Amino acid sequence: MYKTAVRGKLIDGDKSLNQISTDILAPIEDKTPLWWYAAFGISLVMFIWGAISIYITVTQGIGTWGVHNSVGWGWEIVNFVWWIGIGHAGTAFSIFLLILRQKWRTAINRAAEAMTVFAVLSAALFPLIHMGRSWLFFWVFPYPNTRGPLWVNFNSPLFWDFVAISAYLLISASFWYFGMVPDFATIRDTAKSKVKKAVYGFFAFGWTGSSREWLRFEGLAFVLGGIAAVLVVSVHSIVSTDFAVSVVPGWHTTLFPPYFVVGAIFSGFAMVLTLVTLMKKLYKMDDFITKNHVDAVCRILVFISLIMGTAYITEIFIAWYSGSEYEIYMFFENRITGDYAFQFWAMFICNALVPQLFWSRKVRKNLLMVFIISIIINIGMWFERFNIVVTSLAKDYLPSTWAPYEPTIIEVGFFVGTIGLFGLGVLLFFRFLPQIAISEVKMVSKFNKQTTDHLKPGHHDYE
Amino acid sequence: MITNKKYLVGVFNDEHTLVDAFEKALEKGVVIEEVYTPYPIHEILMGMKVKTHITYAAFFYGLFAVVALLGGMYYAAVVDWPLRFGGKPFNSFPSFIVVTIVATILIITILTLFTFSARSKIYPGKKAEIIDERATNDKFIIVLDQGNMGMEMPEVTQLFESHGASEVYQKEANSY
Repeated sequence: MYKTAVRGKLIDGDKSLNQISTDILAPIEDKTPLWWYAAFGISLVMFIWGAISIYITVTQGIGTWGVHNSVGWGWEIVNFVWWIGIGHAGTAFSIFLLILRQKWRTAINRAAEAMTVFAVLSAALFPLIHMGRSWLFFWVFPYPNTRGPLWVNFNSPLFWDFVAISAYLLISASFWYFGMVPDFATIRDTAKSKVKKAVYGFFAFGWTGSSREWLRFEGLAFVLGGIAAVLVVSVHSIVSTDFAVSVVPGWHTTLFPPYFVVGAIFSGFAMVLTLVTLMKKLYKMDDFITKNHVDAVCRILVFISLIMGTAYITEIFIAWYSGSEYEIYMFFENRITGDYAFQFWAMFICNALVPQLFWSRKVRKNLLMVFIISIIINIGMWFERFNIVVTSLAKDYLPSTWAPYEPTIIEVGFFVGTIGLFGLGVLLFFRFLPQIAISEVKMVSKFNKQTTDHLKPGHHDYE
Repeated sequence: MITNKKYLVGVFNDEHTLVDAFEKALEKGVVIEEVYTPYPIHEILMGMKVKTHITYAAFFYGLFAVVALLGGMYYAAVVDWPLRFGGKPFNSFPSFIVVTIVATILIITILTLFTFSARSKIYPGKKAEIIDERATNDKFIIVLDQGNMGMEMPEVTQLFESHGASEVYQKEANSY
């Protein structure tokens, strides 16, 4: 049971159901603000730079990148893991908070799911282009092919990764879309323009809100939610096995799967916080995304940050405790000190130390601080992936193969392009789709009026 | 078959009055055709006595997927084209589990979505059969079929109005 008196109001402003629809749909109905065009333009330029970089890579080959025989995985895998990690928040928000019956998720889950789809899309580009001859990507599919009935290797984490990411993209996209169907129907039935009625009516799939539809819709959400929870944990565990099953110093550790999953949820929640502060400031969604919502996400981040710190220290301790000179070299002479000390300390300070500021209520209440720290966490998480991927490869067992790595302008452009793609996706989402799950917010709006003893005990929301 | 039906529509302003009127109507033996609400309401879903088996369907899709995937991988790796990977046996079953879990989840999702779409008749290009378009926004609607209400019209109208209906009106619409 949600106790408003204890936990605070879920929605401010004592809104009627109609006001909830009107307020959430305001960005779709109103004129597009000027800043939106500016942000769209910048994202588009970034995206075009990325597209040109991809074109050059595809036509000229991976030789245009800074990767070489020693560091075969450069920025591309760093960025791939980074984006996948960010993409974990949507499902984590929708599913874990649903299972834990956290009512406050309703204001945020839609934005988190949208972000997930665009982040995973950006992530998927990297391995695709990294294949070199990306037009032959379908060779990854398990089918008896024209080269003889040669199947893929089902034991390879790279194949697991392909399955996991395709599944994750499809499932998070359908979860996001079907969640929006009732809201599309609301737009169809409240919009004044005929074009809007027709377009959103098409996407509403004929939804009317009948009890039969809601019954099956709840069943569907229950099934998808239950199984997607497994997926959240498994996808990043699989990404971590790409590293952990190899015998490269710094990678070969059983800590990796939980460490990756927690890190992914950490960066994802930070990105959600970035988006949510923007929605609050730019779209005045303060009544739905209250300071309690921001506060709750910040408190989760403090907790995860402590886990991250523990994981970093555990890695270092185990490297020493193992007595393996390669592991000791990797951590003590290549990461903590040495050529990559900057990246290591950037990671440690951004992820383990800076988020500790959220212990202070003052910091949690300061939206600008929250925004800045959320960005810092994402920078820190990028450095974490750089640390893992590049430092281990640049100096492995044979000093004769040691080689430094620097990205070329093409690689930088590719990364910037995916940020542009993500930006374009999020901006279009802000402008044309309901940013907050309208029907779910309406469902929790009744808790504001609980003092009038509206609802009888035994109602499922009371559990 | 498309037939023209006459409906009696009761409009309510909030969940509380709707559930109250709904339960009273059921007690008195009124036959309720359908209830339209902006969000799912547990009492209504229970009271309408329609059951969904979508969760059972999902379980069987999962069972089917596990068998198909493990069988498929066994066929590919052992029967069709055996290859040694790193000294592992052809049927390296434990490492097949990873793909099995993830692909099972994918198959369950896709098949459950199709089941939902087919059973609820929610699909791209469908024209919504709207009785009252405020039902997706802020009104809660009880719809009765005038041919089969289980009670006389004035009595039903009176029942709804005495239990907080903001309006009660009649409407003709196509029924499928």
